Amino acid sequence: MLNPHLVARCKQHRVILAIAFLVIFPLLMPFKAIAVNILIYGLFALGFNMLFGTLGLLSFGHAALFGGGAYACGLVMLKLGLPWYVGIIGSVLAGMLIAATIGAFAIRTRGIYFAMVTLALAQCLYFLADQATDLTGGENGLRGVDLNTIQLPGFTLNFVDPLTRYYVVAFFVAVALFVLSRILASPFGAVLEAVRENEARARACGYNVRMVRYLAFILSGGFCGLAGALQALHLSIVPLETLAISNSGLVVMMSLLGGMGTFFGPFVGAGVFLLLENLVSLWTVHWQIFVGAAFVACVLFFPRGIWGTILMGRGR
Amino acid sequence: MDGITPDLLALQLFTGLALGAIYVLLALGMSLLFGMLTVVNFAHGAFYMLGAYAGVFLLSIGVNFWFCLLFAPLLVGSLGLLCERFLIRHLYGRGIDYPLLLTFGLSYIMIEMVRILFGTQGLPFDTPDALQGASDIIIGYFPTYRLFVIAVAIVVIVALWLFLERTPYGLIIRAGARDPQIVRILGIDVARVWLVVFGIGTGLAALAGLLAAPLQGASPEMGSSILAEAFVVTVVGGMGSLVGAVVAGLLVGVVVAMTSLFAPEFAQVAIFALMAIVLLIRPQGFFGRAGLMS
Amino acid sequence: MSDVILSAQSVGRTFGAFRALYGISVDFQRGKLTSIIGPNGAGKSTFFNLLSGAFPPSEGRIVFEGRDITGTPQHKFAALGIAKSFQITNVFPQLPVHENVRVALQALASRYQIWKPRSSLPELADKADALLETVGLTDRRLRAAGTMAHGEQRALEIAMALAANPRLLLLDEPTAGMSPEETKAMMDLILKLASERTVVLVEHKMKLVMGISDRLLVLHHGELLAEGTPDEIRHNDTVKRVYLGQREH
Repeated sequence: MLNPHLVARCKQHRVILAIAFLVIFPLLMPFKAIAVNILIYGLFALGFNMLFGTLGLLSFGHAALFGGGAYACGLVMLKLGLPWYVGIIGSVLAGMLIAATIGAFAIRTRGIYFAMVTLALAQCLYFLADQATDLTGGENGLRGVDLNTIQLPGFTLNFVDPLTRYYVVAFFVAVALFVLSRILASPFGAVLEAVRENEARARACGYNVRMVRYLAFILSGGFCGLAGALQALHLSIVPLETLAISNSGLVVMMSLLGGMGTFFGPFVGAGVFLLLENLVSLWTVHWQIFVGAAFVACVLFFPRGIWGTILMGRGR
Repeated sequence: MDGITPDLLALQLFTGLALGAIYVLLALGMSLLFGMLTVVNFAHGAFYMLGAYAGVFLLSIGVNFWFCLLFAPLLVGSLGLLCERFLIRHLYGRGIDYPLLLTFGLSYIMIEMVRILFGTQGLPFDTPDALQGASDIIIGYFPTYRLFVIAVAIVVIVALWLFLERTPYGLIIRAGARDPQIVRILGIDVARVWLVVFGIGTGLAALAGLLAAPLQGASPEMGSSILAEAFVVTVVGGMGSLVGAVVAGLLVGVVVAMTSLFAPEFAQVAIFALMAIVLLIRPQGFFGRAGLMS
Repeated sequence: MSDVILSAQSVGRTFGAFRALYGISVDFQRGKLTSIIGPNGAGKSTFFNLLSGAFPPSEGRIVFEGRDITGTPQHKFAALGIAKSFQITNVFPQLPVHENVRVALQALASRYQIWKPRSSLPELADKADALLETVGLTDRRLRAAGTMAHGEQRALEIAMALAANPRLLLLDEPTAGMSPEETKAMMDLILKLASERTVVLVEHKMKLVMGISDRLLVLHHGELLAEGTPDEIRHNDTVKRVYLGQREH
């Protein structure tokens, strides 16, 4: 159990604290690109966490939401010729739409079935994207998602510069964090907690648990879609692998490593994973074994993840 | 549609059955592990892959293919035993997600180990001499090896059925699935039952991988894509149902084969479309227990 | 309007091959306290679960205030005006007591509001306080529900059930596992509630409910053995035979 007073005070100001940290973060990292990736995957894991941490629904198909958002952003920019910020809106909508579609099937299932169904439906999207080469570029991915300068009233931002790029991405992540904290503090957030605590009791109170899950899935899709768009803009390409099982597995790993059910856990998890990957791969190309072993260790001994365990320790 | 004769259809059906045979072996293992242990084995694809590589390894040290059929599953099944005993067992009380996550992490490690030992490129796997070529099955010539795969699957299904239904040990396994407490009270070592079941389940996956190897070679990634397909089979058949595993495995195999004939680009997607339809009409699968769903 | 608030018509239930309830037909009178009693295994819990919407009957109909509610999903019962407490305490253990009740109240007010903060619904917090006072848990309001004593958790459950402002309150063995003091407090509370709404209790401690019930239903082996006032039941030979050998608490 967490010490309510300490945590409450931090929670009150967590968005401000987060923004402060975000501002100095790139200066702590070996290179800027890692900071951007940590933010993007952290956001992806945040969206995933909405389902798993908050409601205990383990999805193995979240790559569909992330990748769907990425492709949506790219397609809006390349096929419709609209500006990048419309692409961002499109990605959030796409994420929500894909979540609504997958959810319509998956929410009828529980527990392990949910994991399998989401995995299978995401695979479906992967194969469809592979086939639709005119639209998505197939195996080669969607290329040319270029964003070089951002025109704001009064000045221009150079998106190509790594530090500027980081701050632009951080801006969107901060917005997302703000939105998430609003959702968690809202009446719906209370419902999410209740359903996680005791589903039968929530139902007896009058909550349609299935609908609650479905809505959470859709909201999750919005966050993941945004993360996908940010990656598309960052890489200037949407690789087909963005939709693959491996990507779904990646976000599961990061979430668990960091700690589900905590606000910042997903970012810690993304950070740990990506830093491990970068540092271990300097030494050996087989860094995945270490990450796998760390993950297994977490499942066995640190089910709250790294951040969750730290929070628990401090709370005593 | 010219050129699609009844014979061609029938031959494609057999191709579907051969593919389905692999699915059946995979799904049997997965359903066994879930039905008896309530473990969703996310490493099932990795064990499948290990079966193929065990075959590669055994062949390279001079063991002939027929013995591989026995030893590869035994080898990999033993690894499965070790995983159950030292890793998965700790998580039984904790809720259904944990073994799932653990096996997922295991698959990462297993795939990377194979990359270290055998390289990241796929390896070819030759069809054994005796099974090369085609046989005349009245409606046409059909690859002998694929007939062999179907035959092996039939043998395994029958053997498994006999084991579970007709032997005392099989009875214990089935009883243990229903009520571990009673089995314990009767003085039977439940832990050993779990161990054996896990070994059989993973051994079946390995056998499937070994049989698949001459058809598609051995690559570290071969388990990942087939995992999704195995899940579809299990959802369609009903998790925990062995009958469901057989029926759904063959059905999915046939569906893929038939779709390849008429609309090859959508052969893969067809599997998932099938799953979506089943989920809409009967979410617990054909033979699953209704209580497993919402 | 008739005095019958809830009516079970030839209601039965099987689980696979096992028949838990044979066609039971019974009317529950509005404003009265009815207790369902019977030895263990009589089918009381199954009957309770059918009435409270946990699962639908295999045969028969359930009619509430003239409306057929057979097969209505559980989450719609609160809005209908039927609330329940569970046999095994079922609260939100890690949430504070006050939040437990507040979120129960919220179910009928605002469920899908994702933007405004919870503090924009202050009336819910006030009503929660009022309900906590009714069940005597006001000084526990900030404690995590799961850390309270058993009797207090059961009282909390009642508060949560009351959140739906139910016309029909269904309580499944409300005094299970309680000490004598807790039992007395619970019984007093139930009596107080029964003066305002219809209460249906399931109990296996016959002595407890004899004094407070307006009507008793005796179940045995899935069938309705007898029904009537406590006096009638007390003098019913069949009931006495069935309870012979059952220790009265």
